Amino acid sequence: MFDIFKSMMKEEWRMHSSLFGHSGFALFPGFIFLFTFLVCLVLPVFREIVSDAGIALGMHYFFLLVGGMVGAFGLMGREFMNRRFGQASLIAYSSRTLPVSERVIFLNFLVKDVVYYFFLYILPFIAGFALAVKLVLPSAAGSFKFSLLTLTLFLSFMIGLSVVFFLSTVYAHSGKTVIAGLLLAFPVLVFASGNFNGETLYAHPGLAFYLAPSETRYLLAPAFLILVPSALSLIFLKVDYPQVQKSFSNSFSGLSSRLGSYRYASFVAKDFLDLKRSEGGLGKIIFSFLLPATLVWVLLSALGNVIPALDSLLLFSLVLGVLSSSMYNWLTEFDLFASYAFLPLKVSDVIKSKLDIYALLNVVPFVFLLGLGLRTEPYTLGPSLLVFLSISFYMVTVLVYLTGLYPSVNLYNGKTFALYALSIVPVLILNIVLSILGPYYLLADLALLPVAVYLLGRSFRKWDGVENPQF
Amino acid sequence: MIEVKGLSKSFGNVKAVDGVALSVGKGELFGLLGPNGSGKTTMIKMLTGQIKPGFGSLRVHGVDVLKDPLRVRELVGIIPEQETPPSFLTAEEYLHFVAKIRKLERYEETCEKWFDFFNFGDQKNVLCKDLSRGTRQKLMFAQAFLHEPELAIIDEPLINLDPVMQRKVKDFLRGYVKNDGTVFISTHILEIAREICTSIGIIYKGKLVYTGRMDELGLEGRNLEGFFLELVGQPGEKQANYETGITGMIARE
Repeated sequence: MFDIFKSMMKEEWRMHSSLFGHSGFALFPGFIFLFTFLVCLVLPVFREIVSDAGIALGMHYFFLLVGGMVGAFGLMGREFMNRRFGQASLIAYSSRTLPVSERVIFLNFLVKDVVYYFFLYILPFIAGFALAVKLVLPSAAGSFKFSLLTLTLFLSFMIGLSVVFFLSTVYAHSGKTVIAGLLLAFPVLVFASGNFNGETLYAHPGLAFYLAPSETRYLLAPAFLILVPSALSLIFLKVDYPQVQKSFSNSFSGLSSRLGSYRYASFVAKDFLDLKRSEGGLGKIIFSFLLPATLVWVLLSALGNVIPALDSLLLFSLVLGVLSSSMYNWLTEFDLFASYAFLPLKVSDVIKSKLDIYALLNVVPFVFLLGLGLRTEPYTLGPSLLVFLSISFYMVTVLVYLTGLYPSVNLYNGKTFALYALSIVPVLILNIVLSILGPYYLLADLALLPVAVYLLGRSFRKWDGVENPQF
Repeated sequence: MIEVKGLSKSFGNVKAVDGVALSVGKGELFGLLGPNGSGKTTMIKMLTGQIKPGFGSLRVHGVDVLKDPLRVRELVGIIPEQETPPSFLTAEEYLHFVAKIRKLERYEETCEKWFDFFNFGDQKNVLCKDLSRGTRQKLMFAQAFLHEPELAIIDEPLINLDPVMQRKVKDFLRGYVKNDGTVFISTHILEIAREICTSIGIIYKGKLVYTGRMDELGLEGRNLEGFFLELVGQPGEKQANYETGITGMIARE
């Protein structure tokens, strides 16, 4: 039993290090620590608009999400690895060939995820947070209980993990519709019970115990939410998922023909269909982009009220530029260059096609910013639009230069992430300072454009020259 | 159609291909045979300009691969070892995608011919990610011949196909070569080489240990397997392993 656990730990490590490089991945917890530390240095400003309980709320939900993502990755790991390497086999799927029951393997898998990600994510995060609080908020260090926070964030992570495992078991037995029903039923029930308000969010089981540690009964809820879904997943475990063959009539030819003789028409049509037909469809643009953008605007408006020197729209355009660059991740999510390596194409052709689509997608945040600016601060709209466009363009070129066609994978390499942070953070800080001095100082961002163009040229040469450009 | 001289490629300390020289003429169906990990796929990747050699020169279809790898991939039909068509295109859309990348005109009819050839039926409307490996391999086969190339380079051509499809593909390749096409295949399945190849090369630990025409091989009284094992292994030792080694190990356990 322990041998399987040890092998799974090794497998997880090797899987990550083969994706990101041994030294690169070994540095990753260090960068989580550093990144958390740097972000938390702005806590004094943040505490002006958000209470300590609100900060704890954010952290607990974040780790709930991380647990869910780790669970989903664990369950879809084989598919992910197959996409990246063409073929992969994980110990989790070896019950078909070894005389070990699926339950024993799954239990090991669960414990492995818990131990592995505790050291990879949770501990470095808390260490970075604690150090920053002690440095910049020594007087408030007492109000954040770090050992308790370690426990409750760990519980949040475990809840996310076990709930996703449970949902996957339900999915294996009943399919997608039941999952969608369950996910919808929860908010509907809360709403119907009349408890749907801001306070509901504080009922998060790990958070409730963090905020009132003397109430030990609050530990029952996280224990229940961890043990019951995990136990049910083990009892009703089913490894074989329902296999559905999806069919579509040919939309590609019509789409690409409509784009005429445009050089990358085929790629634009393909990428559109990738976005439309993959999980979440085009709706993921709304949930992963417009929703966070709206939340950021609400927060920045509040911040602008507290610190009048900060211009909300200028800061928002900066954040919007950063958020936009994440669209490049979606666009590269569905491609393996191996799919094109035998065709008359270069890596730079595929990158150029992605950048064209990226430029097209930037119309959405541009219009969003334009509408917002006209309604709120028309006098800073010009500089805001300039900031958005130059930051979005600069950030995507840095991303392309450092990660090529695989940003979501290569950024996990500690060295690459450090270079990325070093290229981005000073520019962002400079922009914040310039925005305080006055909107027209931000014309300095025009200087980013030639840098970006130069970097882009180098990126194409770099990735065309890389042999077998990863995967 | 293929001229290779002094070709070498290392990955770290491992010499994947070591000083290979070979020549494949027009109208030949050349089989590169070798055990797993002998360097066959690395050879194919170098021939098609997907990776650069450490040393040596390559000319494919009259083009210097090092100077113009894209031109080689324009001219040649290539089937890679791994079948990885884009996940969210259907089989039909994928062939149309390849046709557009290759700037073909009036390709719809050719695509349909290939779907008929491989009995795709409704499967042509299924997303590539949901197709079986065998069906994906058929799709990769079709994409390689969509532009009617004069040279096809194929890595393990029949590995996921059922016997009926294997027969069809073998017949197709024979006919293709008869009509002046040239095929370079790599495989470790000797039966395929024996049935369809006009000439073979045997690669072992990165070195080409044999090249010659099948009809000049002088296999009288021997089969290709025996000849292959003589070149890449030591039959006496292997026999001892088969007969005593494995059962001996089990007995010791």
